Amino acid sequence: MLRFLKNIACCWLLAAIPAITQAQQKISGKVTGSSDNQPVAGASVTIKGTNRGTRTDNNGVFTIDAANGTTIVISAVGYTTIERVVGTDDFSNIELQVAESDLNEVVVVGYGTKKKASLTGALSVLDMKERENRPITNASQALHGVAGLWVNQAGGKPGQDVAAIKIRGIGTLNNSNPLVLVDGIEYNMNEINPATIESITVLKDAAAAIYGSRAANGVILVTTKGGQKGRMKVDYSFSHGIQQVTYLPDVVWDPIQYMQMKVQALKNEGKTAVDYSEAQIEEYRNGMLTDPYTYPNINWFDLVTKNGYLQQHNLRFSGGTDKITFSMALGFMDQDGILIANNHARRYQMDLNLTAQVSNRLKVGGSIKGNYREYTENAHGTSYFFNRFHRVLPIFTPYLADGRYGNVVFPTPGRNAVENLMMLLKEGSNYHVAQRALLTVFGEYKLPFNITYHAKLGVDKIDGVARQFVPYLTTYNPKTEVPYYYNNNPYSYNYDNNDLNISFYHTLNWQKDLGLHNLSAMVGSSYTDFDNSQFDARIYGYFDNTLTDLNAGSRDMAVTGSRTEDVLISYFSRLGYEYDGKYLLDVTFRYDGSARFARGHQWGFFPAVSAGWRIDKEGFFDNVKNVDLLKLRASWGKMGNQAVPLYSYLNAVNLGLDYSFNNVISAGAAVTDYSDPLISWETTTSYNAGVDAELWNGKLGASVDVFKRRTTDILRPVQIPSQVGDLNGPDRNVGTVDNTGFELVLSHRNRIGELTYEFSGQVTYVKNKVVDLNGERIISSRRITQEGYPIDSYYLLEAIGIYQDQDEIDNSATVSNNVRPGYLRYKDQNKDGKINGDDRIITGSSIPDFMFGFSLNFGYKGISLNTFWQGVQGVDIYPTANLAFPFNNGAGVTKEWITDSWTPERRNAPLPILTTATGATENFQQSTFWLQDASYLRLKNIQLKYDLPTKWVEKFAKSMSVFVNGANLFTISKFKKFDPEKDIKNDNLYEYPSLKTYSFGLNVNF
Amino acid sequence: MIALFHSKMLNMKNKIILFAIYATILAGCSADLLEKQPNDRYTEDTYWTSEKTAMAALSGCYNILRADGTFGGDATPLWEETATPNAYNYDNSMGYNLIALGTHTAMNSSIINNRYPDCYRGIGRCNTLLARIDAVPMNESLKERAKAEAKFLRALYYHLLQSYYGDVPLITEEPDLEKHGRLPRTDRALVVQQILTDLEDAAAVLPEKYPAADRGRATKGAALALKARVLLFEASPLVNPDNNVAKWEAAAAAAKAVIDMAGSAGYGLFEDYRALFLPANENSKECIFDVQFKAPEQGSSFDLINRQYNTNAPLKDLINAYEMKDGLPYTTSPMYDPAEPYKDRDPRMYQTIVYPGDTYMGAVTTPTAPFKITGYGVKKYSIYDKEPNTKILNGGQSEINYMVIRYADVLLMYAEAQNEVAGPDASVYNAINAVRARAGMPDIPVGKTKDEMREIIRHERRIEFAMEGFYYTDIRRWKIAEQVMNGVIYDSQDQPIVTRSFDPARDYWWPIPQGERDLNPELTQNLNY
Repeated sequence: MLRFLKNIACCWLLAAIPAITQAQQKISGKVTGSSDNQPVAGASVTIKGTNRGTRTDNNGVFTIDAANGTTIVISAVGYTTIERVVGTDDFSNIELQVAESDLNEVVVVGYGTKKKASLTGALSVLDMKERENRPITNASQALHGVAGLWVNQAGGKPGQDVAAIKIRGIGTLNNSNPLVLVDGIEYNMNEINPATIESITVLKDAAAAIYGSRAANGVILVTTKGGQKGRMKVDYSFSHGIQQVTYLPDVVWDPIQYMQMKVQALKNEGKTAVDYSEAQIEEYRNGMLTDPYTYPNINWFDLVTKNGYLQQHNLRFSGGTDKITFSMALGFMDQDGILIANNHARRYQMDLNLTAQVSNRLKVGGSIKGNYREYTENAHGTSYFFNRFHRVLPIFTPYLADGRYGNVVFPTPGRNAVENLMMLLKEGSNYHVAQRALLTVFGEYKLPFNITYHAKLGVDKIDGVARQFVPYLTTYNPKTEVPYYYNNNPYSYNYDNNDLNISFYHTLNWQKDLGLHNLSAMVGSSYTDFDNSQFDARIYGYFDNTLTDLNAGSRDMAVTGSRTEDVLISYFSRLGYEYDGKYLLDVTFRYDGSARFARGHQWGFFPAVSAGWRIDKEGFFDNVKNVDLLKLRASWGKMGNQAVPLYSYLNAVNLGLDYSFNNVISAGAAVTDYSDPLISWETTTSYNAGVDAELWNGKLGASVDVFKRRTTDILRPVQIPSQVGDLNGPDRNVGTVDNTGFELVLSHRNRIGELTYEFSGQVTYVKNKVVDLNGERIISSRRITQEGYPIDSYYLLEAIGIYQDQDEIDNSATVSNNVRPGYLRYKDQNKDGKINGDDRIITGSSIPDFMFGFSLNFGYKGISLNTFWQGVQGVDIYPTANLAFPFNNGAGVTKEWITDSWTPERRNAPLPILTTATGATENFQQSTFWLQDASYLRLKNIQLKYDLPTKWVEKFAKSMSVFVNGANLFTISKFKKFDPEKDIKNDNLYEYPSLKTYSFGLNVNF
Repeated sequence: MIALFHSKMLNMKNKIILFAIYATILAGCSADLLEKQPNDRYTEDTYWTSEKTAMAALSGCYNILRADGTFGGDATPLWEETATPNAYNYDNSMGYNLIALGTHTAMNSSIINNRYPDCYRGIGRCNTLLARIDAVPMNESLKERAKAEAKFLRALYYHLLQSYYGDVPLITEEPDLEKHGRLPRTDRALVVQQILTDLEDAAAVLPEKYPAADRGRATKGAALALKARVLLFEASPLVNPDNNVAKWEAAAAAAKAVIDMAGSAGYGLFEDYRALFLPANENSKECIFDVQFKAPEQGSSFDLINRQYNTNAPLKDLINAYEMKDGLPYTTSPMYDPAEPYKDRDPRMYQTIVYPGDTYMGAVTTPTAPFKITGYGVKKYSIYDKEPNTKILNGGQSEINYMVIRYADVLLMYAEAQNEVAGPDASVYNAINAVRARAGMPDIPVGKTKDEMREIIRHERRIEFAMEGFYYTDIRRWKIAEQVMNGVIYDSQDQPIVTRSFDPARDYWWPIPQGERDLNPELTQNLNY
């Protein structure tokens, strides 16, 4: 009996074993591409459901051990994945079909979507996956490197580090910001959690014309992530980074050297009275050794800055069934800036997105995008602080021994209010909070005959509050302890703004295929109402610094407030025609009415046409191998810009121009602006021609665009002569500006064995020229806008060297009677013997010529290294004032003046003789000498990421990756005083510095 | 869209949905939706409708008196003194130091760049009021008075323009870009004519005194006193090179008109010279026209500049100009003691200036503390004096009014003009002695010649109005700037500070700002700029 049972058991076991170890055969096969019959090397061959697999060799051949009945999965880049079953299918010649998925990719365009292959306009599409894991705090920073865009992020201030974006040059003298729409509703893309963005489409040419009166500067369409049918997904990502300043001026911090240089500078400009006597300098030199409080020897910049940090957490739940899809994302950002106090920002975000197919015909959906952002800054505000930051002197005392704030042991002429940076940074409070919610609701109804009706309503509610308290501030002389009342009049200031923007649009879409012809049409209308209101209150009279509410103040209340409303009504339509996927035509119309202009001038019509030709689909192209896409396209369109301040056409009488009689305020009013009731839109006409090509199954992609954007009727505030009541000039439709240029985009990706690499780069060239300005010139301090030159060119005296001796001075044109050897020499352009305003030339540029960026990515097994470089070329900057110039108005000096300034012994020095900027104004006039090249090439981002192998993580997650990332690590630029990516129009250094970030983090998908 | 809607292809349900939507949209699409009026300001069409708004427009005309380029800003009138041998501005506030050094150009000095547009802003507002107020339904006599005040202000602004820049465009209509944008400079003589016409018209209507609530408005005395100042400028050597005596006569007569009405208007010399410049005595009997400041919203920085910034630091030359108590200069007076150079001087010196060895803010001063630049500081127009004073200024702002014309000026203007007409007669002596008596100085001895009296009067003006901002125009109109502004300036220890220069071919007049010429190419430039 037992033996029988044992036999059965053995048989049973034996029978089971084959299930585990059924006879494994060696299966070999060859993989070729169906289009060209060439072997596909490096294709992945895996056993379905396991991690076992191999790859095809250079002949497309593979060998794998598999039992009968197992399914083998074969996949390769650029091809559709297929499966074959061992024992049933033929493995000798496995043909892979070219995946057209790339070309069938759907791109968001104005009021709809189009297949990428059918696009006829110049669009840049940014898939946010490429920007994953970067330490970006808002979406505008993700646009660095997109073809055609100049993105300038000036400063990394927590809570306020939005980048300025210009598309294809600067087309106007007014607001040149592009229109940004999030999921079809006008919104601020910086209030969106970048982690919830699916893709960004930038409409650069006539493709934007469907947005009519606000499209002249280009349009950015942001699409947020929605849910997808399928299993529930949970994604979590985390990153933490350390932030440091990129550049700060190299200041002379040695107090003795500073004092000696100041004395030398004053002597050099002919002053006999100097700021610090020999006795004082000696006293300081001795005092430094024993009393660091009275005679400090510190680096103030180091004292008030530190490393900052940036931490982000994002958690997203998404999923869906056939009928309902949803996505819920939660985000948290915590950022502490590089100042030692009072620069902290936090942001909490929630995005909820839901769509439901209610019936066969009706689909509805809604979304809530909520954003709560708070940040702090120093009591007086960032620009006030950075102005003083650049005015600090090495001899200022931060603290006395007992902890009170100090001022300075030797009074310095011109520095009466000694600004103690520690005190300005730490005392008082300045708190801002902004909350914004965008609620959208949409409905889509399928009518018969292929007509779809789509309607969307968006409500954008903004609430912002600021609370500021400027306290009693006192500093003490470190030697005598005499107090100096820096601020003896504390005040509290509260600000509130409250906006409600309602947008509504609806469209009817129709599509029909008639044989090889494909027709589509869309009509729609929209209505937008912007309702903004704000008020603020200020009160003085506080006893001390403990209570900060408005109620605790006691006198001199001041209140202001106003409310404005702006309306836009539009009608628009698009017609599309395709023949056999080969010939493409797209026509749009838009008719806009705006409340910003007087009756009779409110409506504008904006048409556009674009066409494309898929050469690769032509018969004569069949024999050309390896070309997946070759498309020619061209477009023409008119777009408008209505961004002139509200009510500009009305001659307004302003209040608040008060006087007092008998010490009682008497309200005063007067007209302060001259206005033109005839003003209307600016119109931009855009011409674009381009070629797109994709070769070798996506291994090489190229795109070239040539464009011209002509903006006419530019609204510009004409400066009028003061004799006309010194009124601010009217805005007028005068002026024409051209932006012409080209864009070139290249991409290449390949795989060599296990190594994949990818290169993609873009270069944009824009030439900006003012074509017509009614014969006038707009001159504002050192910039000029004039026909034949770019907007805001520099208008400067030409500096041609340094005077070596008095004879040279006597024999050249007069600058002033105070010029000495070592001073700058200027060219007398009109040879009239005097150097004055008539000797200025037009030179330099405030707009870059070239913008470029490229990324180099490498992947090996689970490791990927991504680098992204970006830069601009051909832009000039003119830094002035504190620290850009020596001893400006009592401020300090930078180190190059020690070694590079002219002296009788150092005649070939590049800088003029050391003087103070305020005392020797001859050297610091607007001249080419101080114009600097702000071109740069920057390693914007470098990331090393490791995708953990599935078997390590499969116990708790679907996939996980860890990464380290560096942003702004390395820059090549001639401009060294400050970060070259500062605000070009801001001619001083008083900005929050730009930051570089070292971060690490992880992504987990459950 | 409409066609689609009517198409038979749609069934009822769809039609209703469509209709509802379009109805809401179309109903809203009335043109009214696009008409938005501002809620925080009037438009010119809706403004000139009541007495309140008209009077507010008049206050807007006065508002320019507190501008950087006229008499306000931080301390523009105090800094104007630093372009004279009286004071030194190490900081180049408002660009006055460049003017003092003679290195100013059409581009680099703030005050030159600002006075021009600020005055035209005031003129534009006055012109607008004069053009529009007739349409306003309001009390007729108030309307006429308002027009007279506007004319006075317009005259004051044009006087600032013509006495500094020379020829300037003359505009008396409401600002209109087409008509006025390209006007060239008008002959200075014509501008002066307009000023005098305006002042005469104004004087005919303006009251002599106002009720307390209207203190600070232009009075008849103000109009006549300004007229005297304008005429005195016309008679001065700078613009009267042939010394036409008729001009001096006109000036003397104008000044006398004010002296004659002093009784009814209540004008007189305030007894205490120091207290005259303190907030408690604003709008006193000596004040003929002043700029109203009110802390904190409409204050100035006079106290801050005087006490701390010291950007109007007096020079040794001014100290030397103060006579000894016996009426003799320090070089000849037996009272002078080189060991104690500041003793026994003209009492006005102690009431105007802080000197080394003085007591200021409760501490004894030295040549370097608290006033480091020249050793001297200024007390006039400041609340700070000998006693320690921790009074917290309201918002850091000073409330003291700035006297544009005061009675002492009228007396000295009369003396100067009458002396040129008829030599030093009794009325001349009376006028100058009245000023000296108030100051506590002995009378001028009798028997002076015209030339001697001229020097005495000029000296008296310098002392009486020290640090008030009038001396710059005085040294220009007397044409002595080329002597007194060429050379080294000294501090309290007789150490040289800097060397000044003055180009007589150029610097008596200010250049038209380069920015203005960029905008209106019809504007020519003054000689040698």
